[in-house]
Amino acid sequence: MREVYVVGIGITSFTRLEYPLSEIAAYPAMVALKDAGLSKVDHVYVANMASARLNHQSGLASAVVDSLSLTPAGATTIENGPASGGSAILQGFLGIASGMFDVALVTGAERLREVNNLEATEVVAALAHPLAEQIYGVTLPSLAAMFTRLYMQKYGVTERHLGMVAVKNHDNALDNFYAHLHEKITIEGILDSPEASTNNPYVAEPLRFFDCCPVSDGGACVILASKEVAQKLGKPMIRLAGVGQATDTHCVHERAEPTDLLAVRGAAEQAYKMSGLTPSHVHVAELHDAFTILEIAESEEVGFFKKGEGHLALERGETRLNGKLPINTSGGLKAKGHPVGATGIGQAHEIVLQLRGEAGKRQVKEAQVGFTCNFGGFGNNVVCLIFKRED
Amino acid sequence: MALEILAYKCRKCGDLHYPLRMVCKKCGKNEPHEFDTVPLPKRGKLLTFTTVHNLPPDFKVAKLNLGIVELENGMRITGQLKIPAPKMGMPVTGKVEIVREADYSKNYGIVFYPA
Repeated sequence: MREVYVVGIGITSFTRLEYPLSEIAAYPAMVALKDAGLSKVDHVYVANMASARLNHQSGLASAVVDSLSLTPAGATTIENGPASGGSAILQGFLGIASGMFDVALVTGAERLREVNNLEATEVVAALAHPLAEQIYGVTLPSLAAMFTRLYMQKYGVTERHLGMVAVKNHDNALDNFYAHLHEKITIEGILDSPEASTNNPYVAEPLRFFDCCPVSDGGACVILASKEVAQKLGKPMIRLAGVGQATDTHCVHERAEPTDLLAVRGAAEQAYKMSGLTPSHVHVAELHDAFTILEIAESEEVGFFKKGEGHLALERGETRLNGKLPINTSGGLKAKGHPVGATGIGQAHEIVLQLRGEAGKRQVKEAQVGFTCNFGGFGNNVVCLIFKRED
Repeated sequence: MALEILAYKCRKCGDLHYPLRMVCKKCGKNEPHEFDTVPLPKRGKLLTFTTVHNLPPDFKVAKLNLGIVELENGMRITGQLKIPAPKMGMPVTGKVEIVREADYSKNYGIVFYPA
């Protein structure tokens, strides 16, 4: 396999965007092409979850490649639920590693705010099993809520721990221009004050409003290239050193141990193995905190902390920006936002910024190795990526 | 006859599945549709639950209790709860009822009550 490098990155604000979906995908691609100093690519991958249903548009990649005037380059749309972005990066990686392509542009976009929040929740709920989950009214927040209750009982996680994840990630997002939410929150405001139940109502008990990511529009792009191309372009050498993907049962109730996220564990193990690195090498990580509990659970499954001890590391401040292992420096899905198809690429964007030393006020000092976990369905399809700065 | 929720028993190894899958998860050896149907038990204990406040728009209620129940035979099922104050581990018993209605369709599924 050939080595694969990230040579360009681009992003839109994650927020409500009032322009067409194909432009949300193309804009970050233009930024990334400019960043890389490239005007041609061999293949375009476009990650998106729900364009046919939300935006009346299918075959998004065909629209995007033409809009960018990159025809006749090959173009492929990748729909893999909330893990679409990570999956598209993995496909781009394979294209370069195999020697078939020298430059692959991987962009992702979602325009969820075309519909109201209940409809958006329903579109996302289509990820659940149609006959054994969807018919009951199961939504992603409800699956996360049932998981949270088991986690609380087994490991002693409390609402306060969940609130600490939200406060930390909102704080990080304050310094991220592209984040959806620029809103300082406090434990007092969301849990302790007499107004807390109004500020922070239940969405699916025990999860509250500030335990859930916002419904965002947005796009993000990374350009992958061979070592030869990367060396010519002269950007910092950021290698995509490890990739991994694993799956789990479609129905959450079929999992032998319902508090395990085996797909996260499996995807992370593969990525570590390929890169020759271990969790102790990681300096900065973006984890898929669509719900606050997921940051805690994933931080354990990817090997940063022992199972059942992620909330203790959080309590000690180890995952804060100035901690031992900063998690979700971008604000995470919780505060940066979750434009579903773009999310996995947005995570990679943040890690590349960090490894280049371009993350501004949220820069992690001397970060050389970064990790992302992009979590699809309720943990039934997960992609983990490891990036390493080499120069 | 009371309505049932069916589990799928592999004709090769006897392992039970719910919901239906094409290939047995235990032995992986069956031909297509090589499963016998067996009614799932209706009694069990509540493993975990939630009260959902942001339901899909076709639900005409403000909130709904959902849960995962561990049935008497050790299998698990997701269902609705008609239990005012659910508690983890409480004994429950299920009935098959209409759980979601659209304009031209009625979906039947399991609803659990206190045992």
